[in-house]
This record gives sequence, C-alpha cells and structure tokens, in this order.
Amino acid sequence: MNERILSIKNSFITESASVSDTKALEILRIKYLSKNGLLPALLSDLKNVAKEDKPAIGKELNLLKNFVESSFKEIKERIDSAGSSSKETIDLSLPARALPLGSKHIITQTMEEITDIFKTLGFGVYEGPEIESDYYNFEALNFAPDHPARDMQDTFFINDTFLLRTHTTPVQIRIMEKQAPPVRAIMPGKVFRNEAVSTRSHYQFHQIDGIFVDHKVTFAELKGTLVAFAKQFYGSDIKFRFRASYFPFTEPSAEMDITCFICKGEGCRICKHSGWLEILGCGMVDPNVFKSVNLDPDVYSGYAFGMGIERIALLKYNITDIRIFFENDVRFLKQFPALK
Amino acid sequence: MKISLNWLKEYVDLTGISFGEIETTLTMCGLEVESFENQNEIYKGFVVAKVVEAGRHPNADKLTLCKVFDGKETLQIICGAPNVAANQKVVLGKMGAVVPQNNFKLSKAKIRGVESFGMLCSEAELMISNDHSGIMVLSEDSVEGTPITEALKLNDIIFEVGITPNRPDALSHTGVARDLAAIFDRELNLPSFPTLSNSNAASSIFSIEIKNPELAPRYSAKIVQNVTVKDSPDWLKDKIKAVGLRPINNVVDVTNFILMELGQPLHAFDMTHLSGSKIIVRKAGSTESFITLDSKERKIDPETLLICDGIKPVAIAGIMGGENSEVTEITKNILIESAYFNPSSIRKSSKMLGLSTDSSYRFERGCNPSITLEAAERAAELIASLTGGTVVEGHIDIYPEKISEPQITLRLSQVERILGYSIETDKIEKILTSLGFSITEKKEDKFIVNSPLFRPDCEREIDLIEEIARIYGYGFIPPVERIAISLEKKNDDTILASRLRNIFVGLGFNEAYGNTLLSEKTAALYGKPITMLNPQSIELSRLRTSLIPGAIEMTAKNINVSEKNLRLFEIGSVFNLVNPKPATFSDFTEDKKALFLITGEANQEEWLTKPRKFDFFDIKSILNLIVSNFLLDNFVSYSYYSTQNNLFDLSCELTVQKDGKTHPIGFGGSISKNVLKEYGINQEVYCFELSLSELKSVQRPFPKFKDLLRFPKIQKDFAFIFDDKVKYSEINDFIKKSSSELLKEISLFDLYKNESMGSGKRSLAFNLVYYDFNRTLKDEEIDADFFGLIEKIKSNFNAVLRGN
Repeated sequence: MNERILSIKNSFITESASVSDTKALEILRIKYLSKNGLLPALLSDLKNVAKEDKPAIGKELNLLKNFVESSFKEIKERIDSAGSSSKETIDLSLPARALPLGSKHIITQTMEEITDIFKTLGFGVYEGPEIESDYYNFEALNFAPDHPARDMQDTFFINDTFLLRTHTTPVQIRIMEKQAPPVRAIMPGKVFRNEAVSTRSHYQFHQIDGIFVDHKVTFAELKGTLVAFAKQFYGSDIKFRFRASYFPFTEPSAEMDITCFICKGEGCRICKHSGWLEILGCGMVDPNVFKSVNLDPDVYSGYAFGMGIERIALLKYNITDIRIFFENDVRFLKQFPALK
Repeated sequence: MKISLNWLKEYVDLTGISFGEIETTLTMCGLEVESFENQNEIYKGFVVAKVVEAGRHPNADKLTLCKVFDGKETLQIICGAPNVAANQKVVLGKMGAVVPQNNFKLSKAKIRGVESFGMLCSEAELMISNDHSGIMVLSEDSVEGTPITEALKLNDIIFEVGITPNRPDALSHTGVARDLAAIFDRELNLPSFPTLSNSNAASSIFSIEIKNPELAPRYSAKIVQNVTVKDSPDWLKDKIKAVGLRPINNVVDVTNFILMELGQPLHAFDMTHLSGSKIIVRKAGSTESFITLDSKERKIDPETLLICDGIKPVAIAGIMGGENSEVTEITKNILIESAYFNPSSIRKSSKMLGLSTDSSYRFERGCNPSITLEAAERAAELIASLTGGTVVEGHIDIYPEKISEPQITLRLSQVERILGYSIETDKIEKILTSLGFSITEKKEDKFIVNSPLFRPDCEREIDLIEEIARIYGYGFIPPVERIAISLEKKNDDTILASRLRNIFVGLGFNEAYGNTLLSEKTAALYGKPITMLNPQSIELSRLRTSLIPGAIEMTAKNINVSEKNLRLFEIGSVFNLVNPKPATFSDFTEDKKALFLITGEANQEEWLTKPRKFDFFDIKSILNLIVSNFLLDNFVSYSYYSTQNNLFDLSCELTVQKDGKTHPIGFGGSISKNVLKEYGINQEVYCFELSLSELKSVQRPFPKFKDLLRFPKIQKDFAFIFDDKVKYSEINDFIKKSSSELLKEISLFDLYKNESMGSGKRSLAFNLVYYDFNRTLKDEEIDADFFGLIEKIKSNFNAVLRGN
C-alpha cells in the first residue's frame, strides 16, 4: 500500500509539472481527483488494509490528498494569473472620463475664508437687506442730512426713503435693535455705489462689516483682533499700521494698512510705491450710533470694521480687472475650484 | 488738496525732519498723502545753459543745429523751436533727464542724420506753464550749469493730501501746519494780522445788511481804493501755481492765497458795479437767473442765498461771484467779502446748481467764523501793497449773534476706557493746547475744554479722545492680543445658502455673480421691477426681479466664447414692487433666490462615453436631489406644464404642503425659443429658480439614524402596453395605491414604442421592490400582492401585460 501511495505521488509530481493550461489541468484533475480517479480509488482500498496498519496508512493517504489538492490550487492560480496578462492588454494611458466638479465664485470663497476666521473668534454671521432705508444706511449711522460725509458714498436712490445700501454697516443697527450686548457679529453682503464701471471700480461689490459691543471694549482690543485676523488671512509675517481716518459711525476712526504682499513693502505699482496696502477701515463705535439703538455710550463701548471683498480678491489672486467678477465667463469661474 | 512743503515751512519749522518722515506723519495723523511731486526729482538733469552757436541743420529747414555750453562742456543739440538764438540762456535737459510733460527719458539721438546730446525745453515741456510756442528763455544773468531747481526755485515738494470731510481746517496750509506742529512738538507760527482799527471810515461809505442771519451768521468786509489791477509778482504766482490754481491778477490771486493759507474763502467785488453802496444778503425768494464769473447762466433756486447790492444779485453766497461785479483791469475800488455761511445751506445750493468751487467746498464743510475779519484785513493789506491801492480805515462786520466755542467736559478716565491705554494727563493737555483747544478748567479727574471754531468736528468728549489718540499716534497704543468670547448661541444667516452651494458644486456647477441692475425691458419680463431715481443709464435703471435674465445673458456670453456646455448657479436677491410708490419695507419684496441653469451637453463625446444633451429631466433630477436633501418627500408636489408661456416652452413648479399651507418653492423649465433668440442663443437652455425663504420654511430637521434593513428584498418585474394618454404619474400612483405596504420601491426601467403595439401605445416596464423591516417575506404573500396588482392594472388601464 505504501508503495502505491508513493508511486502515485511521484507520478503526480511529474505530470503536474508540465501542466500549463486549464485544459491539461482538467485532464490531470480527472485522472487523480474525479470520482473514478486514482485518489478516490486509493481511499476506497483503505478498507482492505489490516486493522493495525489503518491509522498509519490513513495518515499517509490524507497527507497525499492534501498535497494533491493544494498543488491543484497553486497550479490553477498560476494558470489564471498567467492567462489574464497574456490574453488582453489595456492601454492605461488612455484618457479617463471627464467628471465635472463645480466651483464656488472666488468672491464667495474669499468671504467664506474671512467669515471662517471671525467665526473662530466668536463672531456670528448676519445678513441684511440690499434695499435699505436712508435711516439705516445713513441717519442711524451718524451721517447728518446735508453733510458732505454723504458724498463719500455715491448712492443709488429709489426715492426719498429707500436706496441701495452703500455698505453692509446698516446691518449692525438692525442687529443691535434686536439683540442686547454682547453683540459680536460679522455682516457679509452685496453693496452698491453709483460709480462708473472701470477696471478698478464697479457699481456693485461686496463687503464684510464687523462689530463687537460689550462693556469695556477698547481700541487696543480692536487692534489686537484685527491684527490677529490679518496675520491669519495674509500671513504671519506681515507688518501693519493703523492710521487716523474718518467714518461718521466710528470715533476714533482708523484705516488699517499691511505691508504690501506683492512687493513685500519695497514699493510697487499696486501699493503706489508706498509699501503699504490699505485693507480695512475701522474704529470705535460712535456714541451717536449707540444712541440710535438706545444703548448708553457710558455703559457700552464697541469697535466696528469693514472691508471690501473684491479689492482683497483682486490683490490676492492677481486679478487686474474688477469687471471679470461679474462677467461669469466659465473660463474664469473654473480657475478657482474650492480652495480651502 | 495740494499742499506745498515750502509754503508749510513758513508756519512751522521742520528743520531736521526728512521729507519721508513728513509724508508718513501726515498720512498717519489722518491727512493721507495720496501722491506727491518732488520737484527735485522731476527737474533732475535740467540745468541753465548758454546757446553758443545756432546754425542751420544740414538736412532740415525747421531745425536748428546748436552748440550749447552747460557750464562744463559744449554739447551739440538739435532744436526745433522757432525762437532759439545764439547767446540765449536756456534750460537744457541733459541725457538721462526725464521730460516732465511726457515722461520721455532723454538720450543721445540722431535727428535727420545729425547727433543731438540733450534737449532745450519749453515751459510746457517742463510743466511750468502751457506755453509751448518756443523754448524757455531765461534772464541774461542766469549762470550756466546751475540746476533749474535752484535757478528757477523749482525745489518744492507738492503733496496731494486727501482731506476727509470732517477736517475743513486742514483745507489750508496753516491747518496742516498745526497738526505737524502738534506731532513734532514745534511752534506754530501763524501769519500776523494787522491790528483792527476802530475807524468808521469804511462803514460810513458802505453798508451791509443780512436778511437771513441763520444762513449767513457773519459777513465782514474791507475796502481798498485806487488799485491798479495787473499780474501778480512771481512769489505770489508761484504759490498759486504750486497749489494747482491759475494766476489771474493781483487781486484775485491774493484772495486765493488767503484761501489756501487760512482756509477762509474771500471774494473781491468791483465797487463801481455795486449799486447803492450796499450789500444785502438774502435768500433768492423766487427762481432767478444769474450769470456767474465763468460766464455761465445759472438758475437760482428760491432757497439759495444771494449776495445782492442795492438792486440786483452780485454773487451766489459762498459759491461763486457774478460776472456783473467782477474785478477787471479797469477796476479802481474793491470790496473784499469775508463771510461765514451756514454749511448745509451752501451744500444744498451747490448740489442744486451742480457747481462746486474751492469756496463752496470749504463753506459746506464748515469754515471758521472767528477769522473772517482778520482774513479780510490781511487780504486788504496785501492787495494794497501789490496794487498800489489804499486800504480804507476800519471795516464793516455784521455778526448779529456771536457763535461761541463749544465747551466740552473731558473725563480723563474715558480716555483709557475707550483707548485701552493710559496716556499721561500732561501729554493730553499738551496735545489739546497745541491743536488750539483751550483748557479752561483743570480738575483731578476732568478738563473743561473749549473747542476752537475752526474745528467744527470737535463737539463731544469722544471727539477729543480721537484728537488725543490721533496726535499721540495710534501706533503707540499696543494691541491687546487676546479675545474674550461670549458663549451665547451664534447666529449664522448664511447656512442655507452654503448648503445649496455645496450641492451645486458637487454636481459640477460653477457659481456665478450676476448684475443686480437691469434694463427696464428685461426686468419687466419677469416681475414688477423697482426703478431707481438716479440710474447710470436706462440699461441699468431697474432692480432685477428674477435671476433668470442675468443667467440667460451670461449663458449667451459664454456661448459666444465657445463655452457651450454650462452648469451655472447663482444665489442672490431679487426685488419686486408690491405698491407702486414704496413708503415702507412692506411695499416691496426682497427675496433671496437660488438659480441653476444647464445647457449644452451633459456628457461630451469621449471614447468611453456617449454624448448626451441636457434635457428637462436633468432639471427634475437636480430638484429631486435638493428635495431629498432638504425636505420630507411626502409633502412635495411637482406640477409640470408643456403649455407655453412667455418665458418657458416647458415649465414646472415645485410646491410643498406643510401645516396646511402651500409653499411655492420655485419654478423653471426650458426657456422659450423666442426669448433665447433675442440673446442669439440657439441651443436648449434649462433653468430653475428656488426661493430660499420658502425652502427654509419647509426645511426638515436634520435626519435621525434609521436601522438598516436586515431582511431580504424581493424584486418583481412587469411590462404593460398602455395607451399613450395614460401618464406615468397616474400609473405610479395607481401601483402605490393598489399594493400592500410591503411594496417599498417602484422604478421604471424601460419605455418602448413599436408599430406592432398599434399606434398610440407604449410599453412601460417596472421593477418593484418588496420588503419588510421586521421579517423575511414569504413568496406566497408577495405573489398574491404582485399578481393581484397585474390584474388591477389590466382592468383599470385596459393595459396588456407583455412577455406571456
């Protein structure tokens, strides 16, 4: 019996070595493993073996069966993998299907980037109407009627009462009318000025205003917060300066400049050779604004700021003509997939 | 406003302070230097030279071949000017110099075959005047080689300073000098004013009456007799030119000089044309016509303040004088007006007339009522000395109600409360006094401060705090580098728009920003547009009533540049009138909308992909996606119309029922061919506009987790031949209605038409999915449901089951 086992094993080893395709493998399978094959025949002969030899012979038989079966598996895998590489070759350099991924407008992305920074500083996000009343747009913000300060913002009027808002600042009045301090809000939105359309100006653009009102808010805090914003948005290596300015709704008022990021402060055409870029206007909320919303300026103080989005995007993305933002040429829109 | 550095230095000693430091200081204290002209730079390379020889150019009749000595060497120069001659002293632009007029950099040039090593300049080329008739010829005693910055005193720096509307005091050289003196801690040297005389000589020959003192609180005047009107001397002309004005004569130039020095507008009348020897200041009262100095006829509004003589108007108060009383070469006696007018009255009149002058610009911002008389005295004295005239002793000064300086209590604690930084009391006192404020009372914790009348912007404590911070320097207040966050719930109005944006971007849409302003014609197509009072043009006179027209326009533009396959979206506000005359916010609507638009091919032809054009069903797919993201399906209803309206050939509406209310979420469809034709578009365009506020009102709460299905799904298919008239939606509803709740999904997987079915018939093939969340279904119960359904469909629709 043992000789038979050995001889079948040897013949299987010899025959299986030459098998290279599925057909030969099948012939081999039939010879050894099928119902009438050599291995089942051996197994059925086990019953004729002397009782005392059965365990040892049985063990040998099992080993042979396992060996043959695992060899089959190996040969089959070898044949399969060989077959797939030889049968069909794919040119993987062929182009892929085009999948469209859309884009947010670069103005949206710039606004989101700015609002996200202020959100982490605890600011809420508020919107207001684009048609405003003279009261919200000017009067409540301490623009006296017939004051030349109104000339600072060329206005589109609808009638004596209504106009297209010239800034997003009126939203601060709307918030403070409804909500007691602390008020910490940023106000993104579209604004309008009656200005001729050119490469640097448009009758519609976007702004983000911000305000923080509470007890004991100071100019030093205004500086700290806006510096933190500017470093996060423009880079931690920027230098900054706050210079005196004028807005009717803040007192003291300031403009914030940062070192020109085009020329790194060396002086270039963009910064008019000053090395500085004006990035936002700001100041301490004027007591007259507090009076418009019935807050006591001796109890509360606050700071406010505002910035133009198009101007920032022009500078940051090296765009030279503001009109392109509103032309909606997809060749422009697709240049700015979601950035951040 | 143009500020001359040389002129400034007459009032404040700026020795030892660099030009750059002055520029930065002005900018930092709120007087922003927008640009500057440094004459030392501009005139670099221009020197006095002598024409040694002037001969004919060998190849050109109109050119002169000159030998010019520049103090060191003799150069060959070709000159085209007709007036060039030997022995003239002229201005030579050397090689490397840049001609101010055209920024042309001089270099060696060959002119008609002859070399030239520089250029002889005209006044126009040097931008000294408009004279371009010939080269500038200097006086004989000019020394060759002297830079013209020295020889012609072209060594000034002219700052263009942007003055904010709150700072009328800085619209003058003394005003700017005051800020610099305060910051650099130097003395301010104001011009000395002649001592006022008590003589009544002037008032005895001329009288002034103010009928509207509320509009003209003060009117002062001086008289100068026997003047000779002629050109001003160079020093005055130079000053006038330095600040960008045109020299006129030795009377007008003095009034302009005082304006630029003190900020007080003056006007000189020719007294012979003032009838009745008097001035009456009054409102026009009725609409009048008046010819101003610039020879233009102006319509005067009844509310406008006029300066009149005994019988007629002679000037529009604070804005411009009249032609009828203008100072001319034959003028002998003049009356100098120096007044203070009500700012808002001047502003209204100036707006009404559409005329803004140096005078009105200052009056409407607020002049200094306390300086009128001194300014008139100073002007009179100067005019007399330049014209050879005599100042009539005394003055006329009508000032019925003296304006007093505002008194402000400055609580010292407030300075630190607002600035977050403590500034020493001594420093505060010094800043305020150096700016012209007087501290009338000093207490431990507060100052009583009188604010000078030349600072109309300083009326309150906060205004003083700003002045202190401004002069102290914002840069010296250290930023607080921390932030206290209050922990209340944070609002975000932009969430819904952000969610929609994310969906659209994921679907391959590009976000657009359209124009809010539209033409009347376009806006009226889509709603009831709001009209603007002062549009830039009729094309931009209405507010958009819908985002659709803007989207069609941008589609047309893109197609024009061969971008024909578009997926665009926009989120923005639209406006519609409710009441034709809006008086309150409820008389119009302002709604935020989201629009999406598709046109061209959904898939372009590629080796792997068959091309497919966008169609109506793409609109439905996107809507379904938005609906499944935002809404509960069972409330939603769509309506589809294939009938035409003005806008759409195929249209649909999306409404949602919630709490018994119907919410119109949006509408859209395929844009009508007629509309597209107007934009030159000849491909199908589909779009849909959603209302954000409606969407928000039916928004579902954020979903909760539902257990996953643990039991098998059973799928069944059937196909029926239906009559064409039977709508899919009817069949779909019927299947739902006629099945047990075990039927969970219905999908149409084939639609087929064939002649063999007979005309007007179509085959619809459905796949049905049955399951239960709590158990495995038995074949028998599904068979009962499914075969029962087949019979019901057969009989209800008279449909024929296919495939058996």
